[in-house]
Amino acid sequence: MPENTGIGRPMKNKIKVFRAMHDMTQEDLAQTIGVTRQTILAIEKGKYVPSLDLAFRIARHFNVNIEEVFTYDEEVRFVEVD
Amino acid sequence: MKKNTFYLFIGCIALALLAIFWYSVEIHNPLLIEVAFILGIVIIYLTRRKVTDLIEDERSAKISEKAAMRTFQVFWVVFCAFSIGAVMQLLRVPSFPRVRNAEPPLNILPLEIMPLKLMGYVQLGLLCLMIFLYVGFRFYYARKYGDWETDEE
Repeated sequence: MPENTGIGRPMKNKIKVFRAMHDMTQEDLAQTIGVTRQTILAIEKGKYVPSLDLAFRIARHFNVNIEEVFTYDEEVRFVEVD
Repeated sequence: MKKNTFYLFIGCIALALLAIFWYSVEIHNPLLIEVAFILGIVIIYLTRRKVTDLIEDERSAKISEKAAMRTFQVFWVVFCAFSIGAVMQLLRVPSFPRVRNAEPPLNILPLEIMPLKLMGYVQLGLLCLMIFLYVGFRFYYARKYGDWETDEE
């Protein structure tokens, strides 16, 4: 088992990169998958971890596997208590 | 129905309820405002379903859920503490004389039972506390889950 090397949020995502590749705004993506722009912004900034359902919808929208959009860094200790 | 129209509609319902409240005070009929209040809330819930541009996604649902749970956790403690205090007033604790063969007190003090009118004010206060707690926790969790985040877009 790897050691905890850092404190932060272990879930990272590349939504911003994929949006840029598809030339989409946050509003466009939000409308397409049926959430608010604030939710996309919160996910991109790591403030909110989406459900599996939403994560799959985002990945399917960009025609990629979920692991390509979302990555889990096991070496980062999750600190959120709530 | 648009979101802003819905908010205006809520305002109208609130004004109507306020008018009914004062009318029921004038005619001394509390049943009127009670029925009107329940009807008003039911109408608001039914109308809310017809709002088209009010998006409620999983993040907003989570914010509401967390705020409600925290409100409940704090509120039940306050409510329980108040209830224990109220029950203490209802129970008469027997007092034993400290001196042997002392005569028992002749006049027993009447129970200090909270008047019914005061009970209404206390209930209103607790309701206000619940609302303030919910709004406070909602702000906290909305901030935590990025409601007021800004970016370059």
